[in-house]
Amino acid sequence: MSFTLRSVKVAPNSASLEEARIRVFDFFRSACRSIPTIMDIYNLDDVVTPSQLRASIASQIRKNCHITNPKVIDMLLFKGIEELNNVVEHAKQRHHIIGQYVVGSGGLVQDVGTKDQANSNFLKNFYETNYF
Amino acid sequence: MASALRSAVLRHIRVPVAETLTLNGSKWSLISNVRSMSSHGDDHITKEEIIHRVLDVVKSFPKVDPSKVAPDVHFQKDLGLDSLDNVEIVMALEEEFKLEIPDKEADKIDSCSLAIEYIHNHPMAS
Repeated sequence: MSFTLRSVKVAPNSASLEEARIRVFDFFRSACRSIPTIMDIYNLDDVVTPSQLRASIASQIRKNCHITNPKVIDMLLFKGIEELNNVVEHAKQRHHIIGQYVVGSGGLVQDVGTKDQANSNFLKNFYETNYF
Repeated sequence: MASALRSAVLRHIRVPVAETLTLNGSKWSLISNVRSMSSHGDDHITKEEIIHRVLDVVKSFPKVDPSKVAPDVHFQKDLGLDSLDNVEIVMALEEEFKLEIPDKEADKIDSCSLAIEYIHNHPMAS
């Protein structure tokens, strides 16, 4: 825990949306540049290509593209940097990376049956994936 | 003390007189032609190859229609990509040519022609 906190520095708030935007791109670049290290330490060469991981990182960022409040973007950016640090520090295991970023939210098992269409959304999400 | 050490060392060191040191011989010219540890010179890629590889990278991007890709397309205006896709393509180019493009330069690269130009002028592109 402590080594994570040491490596994560909280930058001052972004003054404007434009500054927050630039920070997001910088973060995306640093994440992309650490992809070779990540593939090396988690031994991902046989399950995923660097471009797939790049697309996966981009889709995580794009999931929040509607947000226009710089403070919220800063907060999400902080969480992203924290996550990236955890990944690069090998604080995770291989199946975390594969489940979260390789298989993604689509899930390995797709249930296309008709039997539980009326079930609650909670249950459907529960069956689908651990990761949100 | 130092002179004693020096003579002791010199007594045990033999420098072999090798043929490779002959200046006029063929071996010297062999050495000067192949600079195997040098980062300059022979491995520079041609502009045609750069164009070909840049276009391949852009075409392999999932959101891009490969038939629209040409050496002078603009990523956002012609290919319908957004700014994040733009950064992603520049990152893919960095990986392909084994470069690290500084952030300020990377922001300016928004079309195939600029990317080709930048990589062509970069000494470390390979």
